Amino acid sequence: MKQDLLKDAGYHLNFDRMLYFNRQTKKAFSIEFVDEHEESELERRIQEDGDRNGWRFYFNSPPSAGVKRELERALG
Amino acid sequence: MADRTIEDRLREEYFDLLPDIRRVREQLEAEVRFHLLTISHSLRKHERLEVMSRIKECGSAVDALRRRQEGREFDSDRPEVYTLSALRDLAGVRILAFPGGRLTEIDQVLRLRFSSWHPDPVLDENRDVLAYKYYGYCAEASRKVQGEYQVVPMLTGLFWQVEHSAIYKPDPKLKDVAKLPEMQQRTKEVQSALQKFGEEFERLVLGEKDSSK
Repeated sequence: MKQDLLKDAGYHLNFDRMLYFNRQTKKAFSIEFVDEHEESELERRIQEDGDRNGWRFYFNSPPSAGVKRELERALG
Repeated sequence: MADRTIEDRLREEYFDLLPDIRRVREQLEAEVRFHLLTISHSLRKHERLEVMSRIKECGSAVDALRRRQEGREFDSDRPEVYTLSALRDLAGVRILAFPGGRLTEIDQVLRLRFSSWHPDPVLDENRDVLAYKYYGYCAEASRKVQGEYQVVPMLTGLFWQVEHSAIYKPDPKLKDVAKLPEMQQRTKEVQSALQKFGEEFERLVLGEKDSSK
C-alpha cells in the first residue's frame, strides 16, 4: 500500500495540510499526489534526493512561491 | 492597516451571497417537497420519507474552499482566483428514504423537474450508486449561487449526519481524515451493514405483507 511505502520511508501525515512529510529529507507529498500516482512512481520519488536549499513538494499542481513559504513555515 | 487576508475577503463574499443562498434553499426545498407530494401521500405504514435542508455556514464554506487546495493553503499572491460561488453546496436539500425501495422513484420524479442539473452521484467501492446527488441553479432564486440535492437511503444519511456532528463539525480539518484508505475501509463496512439492514427489513416486511394477503 502507498501509505506503507511512505511510513516505511519515515514520512508522517500532517492532518492540517494533508501532506506526508519527512523533516530529515525535507520532502513532502500531498495526499492528492499520492492518490494520483502509481506505487512505482511514488517509490522513485521517495528515493530521489531532496533540494539542498529547502523543502521539495510533490504536488499535482506545483505550489506557488507563496504557498511554499507558508508550508515551509508550517512544517518547520 | 494590515492587508486583508483571503479568508477576510471570502467572509465578506459569504455575507454578500447569503440572501441568495437563503433564497436557493427556500426555493429548492419547496420545489422538492411539492414534487414529492404524490409519493409521500402514498407511503405505506413502514415507509418514511424526510426532506431536510441546510445552509453551509460561513466558516465551513471558507474551509471547504481551502480543503480543495493541495497543502490546504490559499495562494496569497493570487487572491482573485478564490470565490465561494465555486462551491456547489452552499444551499442543500437532502431527501432521506427508508427503506431504500423508493429511492429510484424519488430520483426519477426529481430528475424530471431538475433535468438541466448535473449528476454527481456518491458511489461505493463497486461503483454502485450509494446516493443520488445533483447540483445546478434555481434560476428563480439566484443566478450566482448553485444548489445541491441528494437522495439518500435514510440509515446512510443519518450515519453521515452523526459522523458530521460528532467529528467534523467541531473540527472541520478532520474531514480529510475520512479520505484516508484506513478510514474509507471502515466507512465502507458501516455503509454496507446499513444497506444490508435496510434490505433485510424491506424483504421481511414485504414478505409478511405478501403472506398475509
